[in-house]
Amino acid sequence: MGYTELTVWTRGIIMDKEGRDIVNSVAAAGRIEGKQTQAMENYVDNPDRTNAPTRKYCRISDVEIEHLLTYENEQPNIVVLVEQTMVKGWDYMRGMPPGGTLVINTHYSPEYMLRFVPGPERLQQLVCVDAAKLADHKWLYYRLGELGLDRLSTEGAAERSKAVAPDIAAPLIAAVVKTTGIVKLETIEPMIANIAAFRAGLASLQVLQVQTAAARG
Amino acid sequence: MSTKGTHIPDWLKVPFAGITPAPTQERGQDLFPTGNWRAIRPVYHDKMPPCNNACGTNEKIQGYLDLVKRGKYLDAYALIKEDMPFPSITGRVCYHPCEQACNRGKYDEAISIRAVERFLGDLGLALPKDVVKAGVPNGKRVAVVGSGPAGHSAAYQLARLGYAVTILEKSPRAGGLNRGGIPDWVLPQDVLDKEIARLVELGITIKTGVEVGKDVTWDDLRKSYDACVLAVGLTEPNSVRAAGEDTPGVVYGLPFLRDIGMGTSKVKLGPRVAVIGGGNTAIDCAREALRQGASQVTMITIEANPQEMPCVPEDLHDMLEEGVELLHGLAMTAVLGGTKVEALELRPARFAGKVNASPIEIDRSAKPQRFVADNVIVAVGQHASLGWLPAEFKTERGTIKVDGFGRLGDTNVFAAGDVVQMGSGQPLMVVNAVGDGKRTAFNLDKVLRGEKLRPRTIAIDVITDLQRMNMTYFPHFPRVQQAMLAPVTRKLSQAEVALSLSEEQAVAEADRCFSCGTCNACDNCYLVCPEPCIVRADRSNGLYKILVDYCKGCRVCIEECPTGCLEGVPELDFDAGVVRMDTAFAITQGLHGRQAEELRKLPERAAKDIEGWR
Repeated sequence: MGYTELTVWTRGIIMDKEGRDIVNSVAAAGRIEGKQTQAMENYVDNPDRTNAPTRKYCRISDVEIEHLLTYENEQPNIVVLVEQTMVKGWDYMRGMPPGGTLVINTHYSPEYMLRFVPGPERLQQLVCVDAAKLADHKWLYYRLGELGLDRLSTEGAAERSKAVAPDIAAPLIAAVVKTTGIVKLETIEPMIANIAAFRAGLASLQVLQVQTAAARG
Repeated sequence: MSTKGTHIPDWLKVPFAGITPAPTQERGQDLFPTGNWRAIRPVYHDKMPPCNNACGTNEKIQGYLDLVKRGKYLDAYALIKEDMPFPSITGRVCYHPCEQACNRGKYDEAISIRAVERFLGDLGLALPKDVVKAGVPNGKRVAVVGSGPAGHSAAYQLARLGYAVTILEKSPRAGGLNRGGIPDWVLPQDVLDKEIARLVELGITIKTGVEVGKDVTWDDLRKSYDACVLAVGLTEPNSVRAAGEDTPGVVYGLPFLRDIGMGTSKVKLGPRVAVIGGGNTAIDCAREALRQGASQVTMITIEANPQEMPCVPEDLHDMLEEGVELLHGLAMTAVLGGTKVEALELRPARFAGKVNASPIEIDRSAKPQRFVADNVIVAVGQHASLGWLPAEFKTERGTIKVDGFGRLGDTNVFAAGDVVQMGSGQPLMVVNAVGDGKRTAFNLDKVLRGEKLRPRTIAIDVITDLQRMNMTYFPHFPRVQQAMLAPVTRKLSQAEVALSLSEEQAVAEADRCFSCGTCNACDNCYLVCPEPCIVRADRSNGLYKILVDYCKGCRVCIEECPTGCLEGVPELDFDAGVVRMDTAFAITQGLHGRQAEELRKLPERAAKDIEGWR
């Protein structure tokens, strides 16, 4: 694996931190393993709007990254959708080279989700993990009452939590790492706050091998 | 600070990234189709209102109340006539299970649905011609045996489907139980006559004085008609098997009412009358006895208290108001006297098993009680008279054996009404017989058209939980009370006891309807949507549309829907309906692309503009 791009699609404010945790932890783990890595956020999408689509990027390379200052992943090998309905809304497959991986947080099966994927022939595998259930996700779980009192808003609520992947990011990281081997499991595991959800994600993810499925029928 | 009068250079007038044109502006939604922000999609999904579900013939009650509310009485009448051939009759006699089921009953008071139905029924009867037309004739002949509620309903629906229907009625006048079982002061005969005239208007032939088994045989029926509906009802009164029950002066409930209804009654009641039985017929007999000249009427029931009596509570209340006395926990074991009734012998009794069902346990060891009476009316239920029917189609209870669709084996003969429903747990009421007649007619039509009969498999979502509606939209409001004649005067005459609603009252009552689970075009969703993404062609159920490209799934319309017909469906349950949005990131595509083009030219244009300004 010479050079890999990971793009995470998430929703503004309510799941912003989940996306950031995924790219940051993967990039940090890559760096520990001695690779050249990069993680950054996208400001084109204006991520400060609730539910708006936002993207987070991560690059891992064995050699020095050439286009270090380009702020968008143009050829993502791995795409993660932090919220399941995003599968319908955008062309997140744009630029993906053949043999890619799509990871979705959903309770639906990969066979069901495949119908929504634009250009599924580029996928090697479609991975579904019910991260919200595994992490016992509660919407707006960031001390809402307290925030309501001192800021009169939930905006940026996640920023207060210093823990990495305390919630639905943990099973998603597990799914990404286990199915793609982008970094080693043992490198990334110590960084994860919600280790139970991380392990549950490893155990319960569902993988559909798209290319073999296509070849079969 | 106002920008009015400020010079805005051309290049600032195009929408550029960061300034999003309103979605209603031309191509605005292309630029920013926020539909893909949505995880839940609002969907208009009408549910089954509880009234509609509880009604024996599933009248679209919410629908006609809504039309009455808007003053569209004729439409409302036409809607009611889809399921109910004679709203003016059920508007008077129905035991209104709809009102018991009404969700408003849990909130303040149930809606007076029956009174509104009567208002519509009377309006329909006042029309010079009925709104319902017979179907295009299909050349098939169907006989309906019996002109009671079930037969009337079956004949009506079959005529609407295009069949040539002949009703065979045993009595000299058509109407069956509507005429012979319901007293005049509940249902005036002229109302019934007008409803029967409406049947004749539909092209139905009514042959009175024709008895199946005597004038027409079973084989005749099957040979002369393509199909046949047996709606013969329960005509024979049950006896209580008491000693001396054949004494002159003992009469049976249904024949007593029937003879009065048909105008052939010869019964002269003495001043003291005892009525045996605790059901609706017994109540009607007791009240009729007062009108026939009795001064002291006592009802003797086996049930231990009024709550256990198998009757409509409000009829019981009206009866008690008229001064009928109740004796509970007693059975008549003998009629004393020889040539005429002098007294009754009563003994304590109770139901050995289920309440209101055989067997009855009479305490023979107890000292009999003597009850002085001049006449006894025995009203303890009816059974069918089916001597002419082949034994294979009879059940051991003495009813007609039918399959789940009202069909007798593989024949083209169907049966409907009390003669089928007795013992099924369904109360033997007019509206249930009407519903049975309707369904049987539709099943018969399917069989004659060669279609397969299939049981209903779609689950009905009845909305009974007030939490599923938004109750903040409904103020408490009292029920409009139907006026009634005073007990002292009404018990001496055949005048109708309950009076009809005025137009204002009917509209006020219909206005109280929650329209449970069904869109009534209140326009609330249209008004509360924070984005203009609910559109409507007209204010009408079914004409509201949601622009799925733009709806963000904020749920405001769902939460604010008063009736609960809007519901949130997970977006992924839909395979289609959302455009993929490419503009959020593709700054070289779509409208953003055009903006980018403008922005590239910006330096030179800006410079020119500045020069010009100088």
